[in-house]
This record gives sequence, C-alpha cells and structure tokens, in this order.
Amino acid sequence: MFDLDSSPYKYNIRPKTESLSYKNLRLYILQQRVFSIVSKIVLFVLVFGLSFVILYPFLKLLPLVFNNLEDVGTPDVIWIPRRFSVQSFRVAAHLLFNADNLVMVKSLLYALSIAAIQTAVSAMAGYSLARVDFKGRQLVFALVILTFVIPPQATLISQYLRFKDFDVFGIMKLIYGRSVDLINKPISLYLLAAFGFGLKQSLFVFIFRQFFYGMPTELEEAALIDGCGFYGTFFRVMLPNAVPAIMTVLIFAFVWNYGDNYYVNYFHPDGPYLSIMLDRTFQETQFDFVKSLSWNRFDILTFNTFTFDAIKQAALIIYLIPLLILYFVVQRRFVETFERSGIVG
Amino acid sequence: MALTHKQSRRLNGFIFVLPWLIGFFLFFLIPIVNTFIFSFNIVGVADQGGRTLEFIGVKNYVDLFRVELASDNQTQIYRMFYEEFTRIVVNTPLIVIFSLFAAILLNMQFKGRDVVRVIFFLPIVLGLDVVLNLMLMSTGATYMDAQAQSGAFLQADLVERVLLSSGLPTGFVGFLSDSVGRVFELVAKSGVQILTYLAGLQSIDKSLYEVADIEGANRYETFWKITLPMVSPVMMFVTIYTLVDMFLASSLTNEIYTFTILENKIGIGSALSVVYLVFVLLIVGIVSLLFSRVVYKNV
Repeated sequence: MFDLDSSPYKYNIRPKTESLSYKNLRLYILQQRVFSIVSKIVLFVLVFGLSFVILYPFLKLLPLVFNNLEDVGTPDVIWIPRRFSVQSFRVAAHLLFNADNLVMVKSLLYALSIAAIQTAVSAMAGYSLARVDFKGRQLVFALVILTFVIPPQATLISQYLRFKDFDVFGIMKLIYGRSVDLINKPISLYLLAAFGFGLKQSLFVFIFRQFFYGMPTELEEAALIDGCGFYGTFFRVMLPNAVPAIMTVLIFAFVWNYGDNYYVNYFHPDGPYLSIMLDRTFQETQFDFVKSLSWNRFDILTFNTFTFDAIKQAALIIYLIPLLILYFVVQRRFVETFERSGIVG
Repeated sequence: MALTHKQSRRLNGFIFVLPWLIGFFLFFLIPIVNTFIFSFNIVGVADQGGRTLEFIGVKNYVDLFRVELASDNQTQIYRMFYEEFTRIVVNTPLIVIFSLFAAILLNMQFKGRDVVRVIFFLPIVLGLDVVLNLMLMSTGATYMDAQAQSGAFLQADLVERVLLSSGLPTGFVGFLSDSVGRVFELVAKSGVQILTYLAGLQSIDKSLYEVADIEGANRYETFWKITLPMVSPVMMFVTIYTLVDMFLASSLTNEIYTFTILENKIGIGSALSVVYLVFVLLIVGIVSLLFSRVVYKNV
C-alpha cells in the first residue's frame, strides 16, 4: 500500500507529527501570530509606498496649479498655497480653447468614433480567426502577431507617401483623373482604422481572437440548430456574449486614441486634437508667447518658468478630466472585464 | 450555385477578415516592400508629382552609419542603437518583474484593496506619453522638486554607501539605486501589465493552492512551484507587450521622421527603418524563443 518512507513528503510530515506536544503547539501559535503581524506590516509598507510613488507626481501638481501665479516658485510655498487661485486654469483654458471652443468635444468624438471602428473591425476579424476554418487561417493569425510586433514607425515612410498620392488599383485615377492627396485629412486616419491598422489594432484583433477562441462551441451549434445563419450567429449570439472583450477593447482604444499624438501628428497635423495641441502649446519655444499672453490678458506681472509650468500642468489637468471621469466610472469592473476578455487565455 | 453550409461559412468568415487583409496589403506589406526598395535608392520627386528612384546600392546604409548624425544630440546612429538596446535590456525585466510583484500584492486580501486598485491602475490612463512628457519634463518644477527631494536623495545616497561598503559590486548597486530613482517611470509604464497579470493570477485554479497547503508547502515554495509556472504564459505575453511598447516610444523613431519628412532624405530614412525593423524582430524573436522553452504548457 502507500509507503510513507518512499513518499517525497516524508521529511515534511515526520517532524510535524513528532512536535505536537502542548508546549510546542503554543510556540507554534506564537510563531504564526508574529509572522502574520510582520507580514501585515510589510504588506502595508509596500502597498502604501507604491501608492505614494504613483500618486506623488499628481499630488505635487495640485499646489502648483491652485497657487496664486505670483507665488509659484517661492521656496517657502511647497504644499499649501498662500493664496488660492484658479488663474492658471483660466490661462490654460484660454490657450487651449481660444482658437476653437469645441476642440475637446471634437477630440473626444474623434477618439470615440475611431475606437468604435477599431472595435468593430477587430471583432469581426477576431471572430473569424478564432472560429471559422477558412484556408490560411493560421497564416493570417501569424501575420496579426507579426504586425503587432513590428512598430508602425518602420512602415511610416511609405504609408505617408501612399497617402500623399493615394490610389487603390487605379480607382482614384478613374474618378478624379489623378491620385489624391490624403495627408492632413481625417479620412486617412479613418481608413487606417477601418482596414485594421489603426493604433495598436493588431493587439485588439488578438484580444478578440483569444476571447472567441475560449467561448464554448455549443453556443454556435445551438444557434445553427435554431436556424441562425452566419451573420445571425455572430450578431445575435456571439457579440452579446462578448461584452467583456468589447468593453475592454473599446476603453483601451478610446484612451489610447485620445492620448495619441503619433498617428494624428503624421496624418492630420492640423486637426483639432487636444493631444497635439498640448504638445505644441507648451513647447519651450512657446515660453515668450505664453508670457506675453498672460501679461496682456490676465495681468500676471511676474512670469517665470514656474508660472509656465503651473499653466502647463493646469492644461494637463483639463485634458485629463474626461479620462479620469471615464476611469472612475469603469474601474470597478475593469479587472473582472479584463479577466474575462480572454487575454490570459 | 448553392453552397454547402461549410462552404458558405468559410466564405463569410473570409469576408470578415477581408478588411484586415486588405489593410495588411495596403498599409503593411506594400509599405514594407516599398521601404525596402527606397532604402537602396535615392528618392526624388518627379515633375508630374510621382517619385523618381535612382539605384545606388547599399550607399544609404553606409551613409546611415558613417555620415549621418542624430538630429537632437549629434550622436552617431549605431550609438543610438546601442543605447536603445541597453535601455530595453534594463527596463523590460524591471517592468515585467515589478508588475508581477504589484499584481500579487493586489491579489492579496487586505482592507482597502479596492482603493489601492484604483490607484495602481491609474497609470493605464495617466501613462499616456503625452501626459508623461508634460508632467516629467517640466522646466522650473524640476528645480523645486530637487530642493524638496534633496533630503530623500541624501538618504538614498546613504543606503547606496552602505550597500557599497557591504562588498556588493559597484555596478549592481548603481543599477539598484538607478532603478529606484526611476520608479515612477517604471510604474507609469506598467498599468496594462499589472492588469494582465492580475487577470492571470485570478484564473489560477484555487484547488492547486489548497493542495499545496495540505502538503505543507510554505508561501515561498507555493510561489515558485505554482504561481510562477501557472502565470508563465501571461508573463510571456507581458514581456512581448512591454518590448513592443518600448519600441513604440523609441528615440530612433524620431530620427526616421526627421530624416524623411524634415530633411527629405527618404532613402536614408528608409534604410534606418529597415535596420530598425531587423533589430526589433531579432530582439522579439530571441525573447520569445527563450520563453517558449520555459513556459508551462497547459496540455
């Protein structure tokens, strides 16, 4: 039967059974207690320390932006503003919204529509890659991974030139008589997203593929028996069950596109995007411009690098508000959603 | 002609991937091939609006490494590759290990865990490059920050000295204190990674831990014998994701932009793209090869 001596656990079991005297038991319990207290302290220090590290840069912003702009940079004002003021926000809002009141709405809408397109296209491709056994499926999936790994910058030059004189199989030549210049038109960004090559879109295809791959086949079989066609199965059975994956992809696509200044900067540099506006408005070369503006319009008489920083950070906070709202709305279900989205699959 | 069920399914499935496939040819394959061709040519603008190519062999590549300098700090290009390589070799393991550590912390039971989770996942939103650039590259605040933190720096220096005099190698201590100094940068880059790990940790079968507990394994053993093997596929994904993320934010990509669009040296820019592409594929290939040997396969 079961031979204790040949068991690999004999060294673990023997001493324990021998040491079960009353005195040793008390010692054991004491040990356990000390251990649990120590580990609680260690855990607390770690968690608190890391949270502090994450929050510190943001906490540091608050006194800077709410300070009276004439007091910024004084060495005796570090955490508590001497005079509370929202001047920096007023200057920042003027800088961001003066040229175009709706720039924030526009860039939110842009991010949302691109995110929706990306999600739809990726969901379709992901479903097909996971569930339909067409020829060359493995190859296509390998290509998805390849495109995920290769940074888009490597293809940038000829993508740029392609959009510079855009033509697909001579169709454009047929209609307009020549190729069209799509650089600096939003359509180029939408085209990229619709054909699966927007920002990090290969990752989204991958997430959907993993998710649908993990779904039970019985769902599809039942749908088939009940008379659903291919499209019926996809739209009425698979998609409603794929809400976690859809939410994950939608949120990531939205956040990343809102924060993107790479694609936008190359393909539509003059467009109304808050991310590139922030980048441009607060270059160091813009220092004198911001200075004269705050002098003339807002009567800020002392203007130094600290004031410039305060205005910059106020603009950053304005920019982040929609993201923070979204974050606090969805974060509760974030982990749960992500866990079920199949990326770990 | 009527299709069988299987045939129509295949056809429809193919239609579903078709947009991606078209995109692959239009926006990926053709651009890559073109970039490759450009890299062996002098690219000019023709009178009718097209492009002219003048074949010059590998001169672009030679020039790239012999003649051209980086735009911002005038370093040579191979030097940039070297710096990029060390940056990746140092940062990737740090991020991969740190985010696993953070995920394990978040997976424990303690009071206020929900609040801590909210804080730990903030980098997903706030780790955007735009935000980091604006926040960290402040002009005046660095000075103030240096003043406010000088006390902390002094202490860090003290720890560093103690470590040094305890006989640890200098390089290692330097690496440690350097990584501690960049802790925010690392944290800001690891939001998605922590989330992925956490999801991975929660999908591990609880009964494995129960068995380990009954058999008398301590936490340390449980981590190495259960958690790590079970989470290793996720770790592979996280590592590759981190690598890709690093390549995205590389300074070399700025050079591609400068050469091509600002200086109008399309040939040189293309040569750099090709070299960069090979560089990326090599690193990712080696890493995934190493990983596929050790990853636990759930058969």
